[in-house]
Amino acid sequence: MFCHVFVYRIKELLRNPWHLAWNLLFPIGLATAFFFGFGNLIKEDPELFTAIPVGYVKEADQPFDEVMTSLSEDKKDPILKVSRYSGEEQAKKALRAGKVRGYYIQKGDTISVVVGRNGITSTTLHQILKEYENQKKVLETIGAKHPEKIAAAVETIQSRQNFLHPHVFNQYTSVYMNYFFSLIAMASLYGSWLSTTMLSGISANMTERGKRYESAPIRKMTSLSAGLAATMLLQGVFNGILVLYIQYVLQLHFGVPLWQVLVVTTVGGAMGIAIGIFIGALVKKKGLQMALTLGVSMVSSFLSGLMWGEIRQIIESRIPVVNRLNPAAMLTGCLYNLGNYGMTKNFYRDLYSMILMTLGLLLVSVAVLRRRNYDSL
Amino acid sequence: MEQTIVAIDQLVKRYREKLAVDHFSMKVMEGEILGLLGPNGSGKTTTINCLLSLLKFDKGEITVFGKPMSPEAYDLKGQIGVVPQNVAVIQTLTVAENIDFFCGLYIKDRKTRKQYVEEAIRMTGLEEYRKYYPKKLSGGLIRRLNIACGIAHKPKLIIFDEPTVAVDPQSRNAILEGIREMNRQGATIIYTSHYMEEVEELCTRIIIMDRGRNVAEGTTAQLKASLRNRETIRMEMVTCTDEMLADLKEINHVYEVKVDGECLMIRCDGGTHNLVHIMGYFAEKNIPFGRVVTELPTLNDVFLEITGKELRD
Repeated sequence: MFCHVFVYRIKELLRNPWHLAWNLLFPIGLATAFFFGFGNLIKEDPELFTAIPVGYVKEADQPFDEVMTSLSEDKKDPILKVSRYSGEEQAKKALRAGKVRGYYIQKGDTISVVVGRNGITSTTLHQILKEYENQKKVLETIGAKHPEKIAAAVETIQSRQNFLHPHVFNQYTSVYMNYFFSLIAMASLYGSWLSTTMLSGISANMTERGKRYESAPIRKMTSLSAGLAATMLLQGVFNGILVLYIQYVLQLHFGVPLWQVLVVTTVGGAMGIAIGIFIGALVKKKGLQMALTLGVSMVSSFLSGLMWGEIRQIIESRIPVVNRLNPAAMLTGCLYNLGNYGMTKNFYRDLYSMILMTLGLLLVSVAVLRRRNYDSL
Repeated sequence: MEQTIVAIDQLVKRYREKLAVDHFSMKVMEGEILGLLGPNGSGKTTTINCLLSLLKFDKGEITVFGKPMSPEAYDLKGQIGVVPQNVAVIQTLTVAENIDFFCGLYIKDRKTRKQYVEEAIRMTGLEEYRKYYPKKLSGGLIRRLNIACGIAHKPKLIIFDEPTVAVDPQSRNAILEGIREMNRQGATIIYTSHYMEEVEELCTRIIIMDRGRNVAEGTTAQLKASLRNRETIRMEMVTCTDEMLADLKEINHVYEVKVDGECLMIRCDGGTHNLVHIMGYFAEKNIPFGRVVTELPTLNDVFLEITGKELRD
């Protein structure tokens, strides 16, 4: 019976042009509009951390060569992409052509850095050099005064470096990606329309076919669980298509492996479905149901940064409880934290909040919907 | 001995202050087509919803197949088919899928279900439309689909709640013939309607409802036999005198004579040749008259006599 209802619910909802338009095509359309609006800002975001193309002109063997090698050899997350040149003219030419953002040039014991323009890239290049020179000076001093402690000093420097990596940060994603995270949150909350449609088909107090359905010998829990499974699957697939579209068609990256994004958006989709079931369980009038689901989706999405990217941060600093309760902010926060910082405490806080909200709303809804006859139809 | 399929005893259902069903009782016997006749708002659909355990009720008892009906009585629900008043199908499923979906809520075995769905399609004449979506069907066809969804699982008891509302005469006849066929195959039928002609034509027994009460019950003949009026004769007249009206009242079996516009209405309480006797009077007195129509009593007359108002009011 579960399978029978599940299969037909999928067919019914999948062929509903209204749901296809609003749950699948509209978010894709809006993502495309966002892309044309500020897609290039994301792709060319100077804040975006990628390996910095840098030239290196060396005239003699120096330990700095090893630094260059170690900073560019990490296959996964290299900090620098080093091009080696035999003379400064070649490096200047590459800088002018935009092939490198700057170059290091080593003349005797002196190493200097030449950059094309100021910004986070030039700061990083300077910082690398400064750090190298500091450590070099420390080791030289120790080597001169306490040569027996040189090994211990090297070890200390290395341990300091290790201390700087207690947490592995993910690839930094542009702040503009926040709009896309909010968009995914909005699409997930649109899942509430799928669940109210599903619910109306099995409730005698909502539709005529609900009357026919409830006259049949099928348990409410079977109907509900099959309907929930079908709607969650559909919304999960719709979210997945949207994520794939953003990643592969628009070429905007989430900064983490795709499966992690899909897991989070599937949980978000389930939360949208649960919100719809909750509204459907408490409100009988179709018009009011529609208004509530739309209102919840749009207000939550707006407060999560769909129209104004900074609003979630402003709310976080002033009234953070709103972000703790706003389903769209939870999903947006989850994706933002995941993309920028990985699976941090805040990521898990938002993820568990979404799961708890989903389960809580479903439990209340099931308690309300368990009744099998009504005071009026 | 005939089995009692449905027994409703002293059912009371209130919607806040409004009494929708007022101590209503009825029995439906195996194999009959019971007509539940009453004007809109008389409590027919509310009674049906209580019978199906969709609605809570305030008082009374309902048993189906000898067992108390409840929302969890799945074994009883499995033997009931419902054709609701409004079309209750899924717009995004085809004709065949709709029937299969609703049939599948009752019949688990896929092979049996397939056979039942085909039979329902044949019975309702939807063979050519099996791949159509409901929005592509005409009003009559969609009503047939509505019926097919309710009867495909071959229930022992089928409840039709005004299935011919807004249906063209051709489809209506097909629907009524289909119901007779289901009854011939052994289904017991409850048929609610406010169309008295339909009920009269189809049902073996009739219950008349008004304001939530059972106001009369019996076969068509029994209900009509309870009336004093057995025949109404209407004559188009140019002039009517008091003397003429008095003379007509003297004719055997005539109990009421009145002028209704340009028409003279004569009611008789029995007899076999009332029209001949009345025409004889007019011929003898050489009184001119126009068109003459004779009408036998209808269920509307029964309803009128019991409630004092027309069924269509």
